[in-house]
Amino acid sequence: MRTGASRGGPRTATILVFMVVGVVFVILGCCVGLFLGRYRDAMIQSARTSTAQAVAQVSNTVSNYLRDMEQAMGLVEQSMLERPEGRDEQLSAFLKFRPDVVAVTSYSAAGELLDCWSPDREPKENIFQNLSFDLERARAAPSPYMTAPHVVTIFQSWYPWVVTMTAPLDPMPGGENTAAWVSLDLSFSNISSYINNVSIGQRGYCFLMDRVGNIVYHPQQQLLYSGLKSEDTEALAALEDGAYADNTVIHCLTSVGDSGWRVVGVSYVDELVNRNVREMIWLSAWLAGLILATALLASWILSRQLSRPLRELASAMGRFETDADHFTYRPMGGTREVRELSGSFGHMVVRIQQLMSTVRQEEINLRKTELKALQAQINPHFLYNTLDSIAWMCEQGRGGDAVKMIHALARLFRISISKGHELIPIAKEIEHAENYLEIQKYRYKNQFTYTFDVDPGCLNYYCNKITLQPIIENAIMHGLDLLVDEGHITVRVRQDGEDVVFTVQDNGVGMSAEQAAAILREDAQDRTGIGIKNVNDRLRIYFGRQYGLRITSELDAGTSVELRMPKVKEARDYETK
Amino acid sequence: MRQNRRPALWAALALLFLCGCGTDAVPEARRSVALVAKSTETEFWLSAFAGAQAAAAEYNLELTISGPGTEEDYETQNKMIAQAVENGAEVIVFSAIDYERNAEAVDAAAQAGVGIVSIDSGVGSDQVSTYIGTDNYAAGQMAARAALEGVEGPLYVGMVNYGESSASGQERERGALDGLAESGRARIAAVVNTLTDTPRAQTDVVALLLAHPEINVLIAFNEPISVGASKAVRTLDRAEDIFLVGFDSNVVTIDGLQDGYVDALIVQNPYAMGYLGVESAYKLLTGQGGSLKPVVDTSTQIVDRENLFTMDGQKALFAFDPSQKRAK
Repeated sequence: MRTGASRGGPRTATILVFMVVGVVFVILGCCVGLFLGRYRDAMIQSARTSTAQAVAQVSNTVSNYLRDMEQAMGLVEQSMLERPEGRDEQLSAFLKFRPDVVAVTSYSAAGELLDCWSPDREPKENIFQNLSFDLERARAAPSPYMTAPHVVTIFQSWYPWVVTMTAPLDPMPGGENTAAWVSLDLSFSNISSYINNVSIGQRGYCFLMDRVGNIVYHPQQQLLYSGLKSEDTEALAALEDGAYADNTVIHCLTSVGDSGWRVVGVSYVDELVNRNVREMIWLSAWLAGLILATALLASWILSRQLSRPLRELASAMGRFETDADHFTYRPMGGTREVRELSGSFGHMVVRIQQLMSTVRQEEINLRKTELKALQAQINPHFLYNTLDSIAWMCEQGRGGDAVKMIHALARLFRISISKGHELIPIAKEIEHAENYLEIQKYRYKNQFTYTFDVDPGCLNYYCNKITLQPIIENAIMHGLDLLVDEGHITVRVRQDGEDVVFTVQDNGVGMSAEQAAAILREDAQDRTGIGIKNVNDRLRIYFGRQYGLRITSELDAGTSVELRMPKVKEARDYETK
Repeated sequence: MRQNRRPALWAALALLFLCGCGTDAVPEARRSVALVAKSTETEFWLSAFAGAQAAAAEYNLELTISGPGTEEDYETQNKMIAQAVENGAEVIVFSAIDYERNAEAVDAAAQAGVGIVSIDSGVGSDQVSTYIGTDNYAAGQMAARAALEGVEGPLYVGMVNYGESSASGQERERGALDGLAESGRARIAAVVNTLTDTPRAQTDVVALLLAHPEINVLIAFNEPISVGASKAVRTLDRAEDIFLVGFDSNVVTIDGLQDGYVDALIVQNPYAMGYLGVESAYKLLTGQGGSLKPVVDTSTQIVDRENLFTMDGQKALFAFDPSQKRAK
């Protein structure tokens, strides 16, 4: 199990991904911002240029038109010099040829309307006011001039909008009634066709104004006249020729020759610039997104290559920690660093497992050696006391008893040795205990009795040899030896589920709980104590920690030692361990 | 498991991203707006149509224009409204001949989901999104003011109006009556209702003037009646002693103004009505209906001999049409 500490804190993969994406994001943001700024500047410049180009074109066209009109005016001036009949003929031909000329009028030096030529129309008799001619202005102007737009007011029930071109005539002989000025009323049909067709972007347009800011022609003139739209011509009139851009509109002004007219181009930043910029923003955002996604993917793959093996390694370490014995390590792939790390870990695992098995083996060996030493070292007192007893029996002529004793001793030793096997059938162990008790009974001159209560079903199972003897020895020496009354030892063997339980019970002096516990601890001093502990250790080494001895004792009542081990059917299963 | 889910997540994100980029605006079909006028012949309405067409071109709308033969034919107007709805108009720009009797047809059209914009002359329906036109009461007062300024001494006023059921005419008459009553020196000699038809108006005015020779001020409340009245004054040769106040711009009344038969004109702004009417229709169609004001007052001005040929007078009176032909 991984601990809480290792769960907290960000993963390497996450950090890596965030770092890479963050860096890419910042770089991209800077680049895109810089690029878009430059791009917008360039677009505004290009919008100004294109507006200026359109305006220049219109200016050229209008300039041509005006030159054309000046030539026409020259023609009219010439025809004025003709005799009246020829003049009428020439002018009606001229009017047919120039449908945009609404009327030709001539005026006396006093400003009176002398003559009017207009196809199929005659001027009214009583003209209320003639907007086509202004005497003061005509006198002030040294050369031909153009008026602002106005309606023609000399006809009955017909009021077309025109601009008027007025030119002075060379003084002719003939006095008062000769024409001093001639005017051409020009409709907007030609100018409108030049200007209406101009488009700058989708909504941009051009219009024509004069020097002081009167609008001469505007594609939406009626909207202006109806007060639905306005142009700030006063401010525009104050500007020099050139292009002026603010946040929403680009104005571009160009004078038309020296006519006094100026072409104004109006285009919208929004559609010429912002739309392109927006498109570019989209494109950049798209690209940036793509790059970010790529970076994300790349860093993710990278971190996966690095972090997944690391995590696997960590979990392998966890498993190894939990169960080092049964852990088998499979080396993992990945980058070279990871492979190296994995290889080192594999080596370490093998090494630790080797060490562990060595330690365990040494422990077992140590126990075996101890046991063997113990077995080899059968209490010499027991041996010579027994031999003394036998000798004493022989002296007294109790040959039969002496023979029994010698037999018992011989069997004791035979079973003790048991061809070097550790596990012997329970029957043998019981026999061993019986022989030992028989000998001791002689030696202690029948100070105690003993009984065996053995479940016959247990006899064929195996148990560690010399397990009962140390316990019985303990019971005689510490329990019964000091007893005044006759002692009694009961040895029981019974089955308990999957286990076999041996019980050695005496009615001796007993001991306190502390003493009972001390026996199984490390610091036992006397030989029998060592023997009991040794039994306990052996059982545990062989069968596990849940097996071994349990001592229950009560002062002046007796001691019961319970010895538990599993049912062992084959000695081989455990011998080899 | 978690390892396998993540690539799928990323793939989905990438897909979403790509989809988000691929949507382009689909060009919309032109939307349909119908203009139902009172007439299709007077200069007033021609100017209004020009404004409407200008707006339709600017906002890329399909505009159909219709109007009855006479300015009394509200039944034909009702049919035209129904027809426009049937033809798929999404907004109807409407000028009502009859305030009451056009209401039902307008309600029915609104019921069918059609937006209603009222211009020039209102209609008695609460389905109207906005009214664009002259403040007719104020226009009537202007007519009264023009007469009071132009005539000294007592005024004997004859008024010639069109249909009693027209909202605009009645408002103008009320304004004029109130304006004159305020002065204290005007007496209403007669108020007659005639048809919006020049010859009929001329006949009626002649009859009126003959019946009431004391009349020295004549107020005509719309363009055809003004034309008829100016012709009547001319017929009776009473230019000198009759102060005629007309409405709207017509070449006949403008000629009359110069020749003295007409003394003042109350000029509305029909071009603006047409233009703003269709512009409002566009706003309704594009969901900006909330920004529409319930009443939009288009400018009105008095034109007399003094300011007839000033720039403002010219702008108000004469339509600017560069494609105008020279021929008669």
